Amino acid sequence: MRLRPIIQSLVLALAASWPAAAAPPTEAEMAAKIDARLAEVWAREKALAAPPAEDAEFLRRAWLDLCGTIPPLNDPDGISGIRQFLDSNDPDKRVRLIERLLARPSHATHFANVWKNVLLPQDAEVQRLGGEAGFQSWLRGQFADNVPYDMLIASLVLAQGQANQAGPALFFTSLQLKPEELAASTSRVFLGTQIQCAQCHDHPFDHWKKADFWGYAAFFARLERPQQAQQIAFQVSDAATGEVMIPGSSEAVTPRFLGGDTSGDDLGKSRRERLVQWLTWPENPFVARAAVNRVWALLFGRGLVHPVDDLGRHNASAHPELMSELAEYFVRSGYDLNRLVRTLTQTKAYQLSSRSPPGAEDRPELFARMSIKSLTAEQLYDCLLEAMRRRESASPAPQSALVLNRGLDATRQAFLMRFRAPTQGATEYEGGIPQALTLMNGTNIRQATDLNQSDLLGALDAPFFTAAQKVEVLFLSTLSRPPRSEERAKFVAYVEQAGNRQALGDVLWALLNSAEFMLNH
Amino acid sequence: MSEHSRRQFLRAAALSAAGVSCSGWMPRLARAAAGDPARRRHCVLLWMPGGPSQMDTFDLKPGHANGGPFKEIETSVSGLKISEHLPKLAAQAENLAIVRSLSTAEGDHNRGTYLMHTGHKPGGPISFPTMGSTLSKALGTDDAELPNFISIAPQVALNSAAYGPGFLGPRHAPLTVGSGNVIAAPQQPAAGLGVDDLRNPGVGREQEDARLDLWRMLQTSFLAEHGSASPKAQNTVYERAVRMMRSEAAQAFDLAGESDKVKDAYGRGQFGQGCLMARRLIERGVPFIEIALRSNGGVLGWDTHQQNFDRVKSLSAELDAGWATLMTELHERGLLESTTILWLGEFGRTPTINPGAGRDHFPKAWTTVLAGGGIKGGQAYGRTSADGGTVEENQVDVPDVLATLCRALGIDPATCNISELGRPIKIADGKPIEALLA
Repeated sequence: MRLRPIIQSLVLALAASWPAAAAPPTEAEMAAKIDARLAEVWAREKALAAPPAEDAEFLRRAWLDLCGTIPPLNDPDGISGIRQFLDSNDPDKRVRLIERLLARPSHATHFANVWKNVLLPQDAEVQRLGGEAGFQSWLRGQFADNVPYDMLIASLVLAQGQANQAGPALFFTSLQLKPEELAASTSRVFLGTQIQCAQCHDHPFDHWKKADFWGYAAFFARLERPQQAQQIAFQVSDAATGEVMIPGSSEAVTPRFLGGDTSGDDLGKSRRERLVQWLTWPENPFVARAAVNRVWALLFGRGLVHPVDDLGRHNASAHPELMSELAEYFVRSGYDLNRLVRTLTQTKAYQLSSRSPPGAEDRPELFARMSIKSLTAEQLYDCLLEAMRRRESASPAPQSALVLNRGLDATRQAFLMRFRAPTQGATEYEGGIPQALTLMNGTNIRQATDLNQSDLLGALDAPFFTAAQKVEVLFLSTLSRPPRSEERAKFVAYVEQAGNRQALGDVLWALLNSAEFMLNH
Repeated sequence: MSEHSRRQFLRAAALSAAGVSCSGWMPRLARAAAGDPARRRHCVLLWMPGGPSQMDTFDLKPGHANGGPFKEIETSVSGLKISEHLPKLAAQAENLAIVRSLSTAEGDHNRGTYLMHTGHKPGGPISFPTMGSTLSKALGTDDAELPNFISIAPQVALNSAAYGPGFLGPRHAPLTVGSGNVIAAPQQPAAGLGVDDLRNPGVGREQEDARLDLWRMLQTSFLAEHGSASPKAQNTVYERAVRMMRSEAAQAFDLAGESDKVKDAYGRGQFGQGCLMARRLIERGVPFIEIALRSNGGVLGWDTHQQNFDRVKSLSAELDAGWATLMTELHERGLLESTTILWLGEFGRTPTINPGAGRDHFPKAWTTVLAGGGIKGGQAYGRTSADGGTVEENQVDVPDVLATLCRALGIDPATCNISELGRPIKIADGKPIEALLA
């Protein structure tokens, strides 16, 4: 059954009913507005903004944020590789870089990874159900096509069919089709509201009551569930009947939008369709703000509101006007995620350095300095892989092969299990001693620093490279910048003095284990 | 208070609660603290993958048709009897609290393993941490030389989430020994208990020093310009890992210094040597150690659908040697009173014997054993029916067992950690069983 036409008709019906709005500001105009708002806050809080990031800093950050990996030395597209970017004198090179990155397949994969971790519970059961690869490939398609965010939500909430095929059904089956789980998850992810506490009692901090939670959960009541309680659900389809009750009572709860009136009886539309209408309604008070907050958090390490999915009245932001303006901009530009990313990355704020001297006051909520973000497990693995690969060749490894075989790789899965950190802790370093040991002595790193197994080292082990050139390539391949003069002096001396070819492996080991490598600054 | 997140508030509250409960709650703990201010609590989980047969170990029914060929023997506690194949444990029965009335609902290996390790059923949106992670977090300190949670011979292939730190994050993951990514140090026994990733065998000390020297230059200059918390945290963790690799404390993993007599007493298999390693780790203050009895390479040693009696007999010998010797040696060093031991599998086995002389999965009525510090030993708690098919008295569930374990360790089971989704999650949901607590 083709969902697209249904979704499109729902969304278009809404657009038709909404009074024609003025075109949104251009990306550059909006970026300037954002900077102006932040500057107001800095002036008020007497915060000093960090200096602007240098080209190398910006390049690495943009690659990691948008494609989940570090930049290659050279890139045939002419701008995204380290050498080309640093050498270019084009005043618009940063804007052009962002456009190129958004067009790469690895961008779609990276965003699919990030969103998959947000949407699916991190559970072995989910992996056993199968279908994670199908879910991820569906997500990847959405980002590759820059599907508008309201359509993406609609497709997800209206999912039908088998969980093990390419499509969003796994979102439902991984939560066992339970209305309370679906309510908790969708409100957290799409509404930025942590309503799950109100499932059993009135929310301790926010204003939601039990009736609010169950009124919202009622939208998910009419799904075909397996007959036996113990059976695992494998597919999603609507049912004609089904109700939820507040635990302890036997009265069916009428579906009610969060913070709104009852949805009324819209003949011909299923409960899920009615919910999608509300979610994609341009004046929905939650969706655009939650989306903007999440994308902001992805790029800046922390949302305008923190935690990223807790946008209640109890959790005020330091930037309320900015939040409202960004949310409105997002809706008026058609929920265009790429446009939002381009806008945010054009701001001066995104391009601030992360440098701060030790002892400087840390007030990340002001965004006067770029926060340092930890790499996710997927990013770390991909960076290690990039750092091992032959870098000087003109043609990088075929993107498609890399992108498709991800999920099946057992080594990668084992690594991810070891390093997976809770998604809320983007600016905290979550690793412990076992992770450090793996990165210092584990199989991946031993391969990467062994002359005979590493493409990179093997390629450098040629007589026509001087020690200085070899060291420079290693720095560029890992830290995405050339060595500073004192680093050059020490490392080149080490390589020349050691006399053996293994010295390069030692240099690479030091670089790969450095904080500078494994953090996104 | 505008930016002060609820998460930070609750985290601080949880930390202080843990602090309060560890600092003077239990009379036993206060006494121990008075004697030696540095003394801490330890927990050992003896994990029996496959599902150990309760009717052939701790809850025999010799007169009944379901009883099988094993006989009961007297223990050091009058009236308390266990399998004839656990003689050394029988001699120390005053340390054991045998809970015969455990009843759970998961009869599948994966699900049962997850349930027993985390206290929660699998399949929900929350990734619950394994008990080793929650308890080591409550018992350990951040700056300890050795990791606070060490897992010997874990079965990660089966259900990695059951052994993982869940929403507590990778910092509370165990250091694994002998899991298969073995880098065997030269003196390790043939059982192959190398600490995963402790060394790079191709790199000697001098080269390691040279690498660290280069590394420290990069760290120093990066940290000089980036003073926020996460680069500092990364540096600290790494320096601790290096310190651990080279410390005297890491000698704990090297069994070469132990005499043959001691090694023989524990049993030369992986489990026995794992128990020996656990004693050495406890001597150095490690708060939580999990040891699996895999029976020399078998993945689900206790899963005796066939030839139950032969296999349980040989497994019992390994169990008896390792566990009893561990308790003896801990007692000799004055450490048993601060070490609580939990013996557990994912479920029990059927009272009725199948045609293959085996027993099948049975979570309805089975046995777990608590021992050591904080536990009132020398008793059997709860009772099953004459045929072993149902619990007749004092039925308990896994959250209760975990809550009891917490109390024995001086931890308040209601202490909360914050999950991924912002919800406070108690360490253990059940009610402690007072009769089991000293």
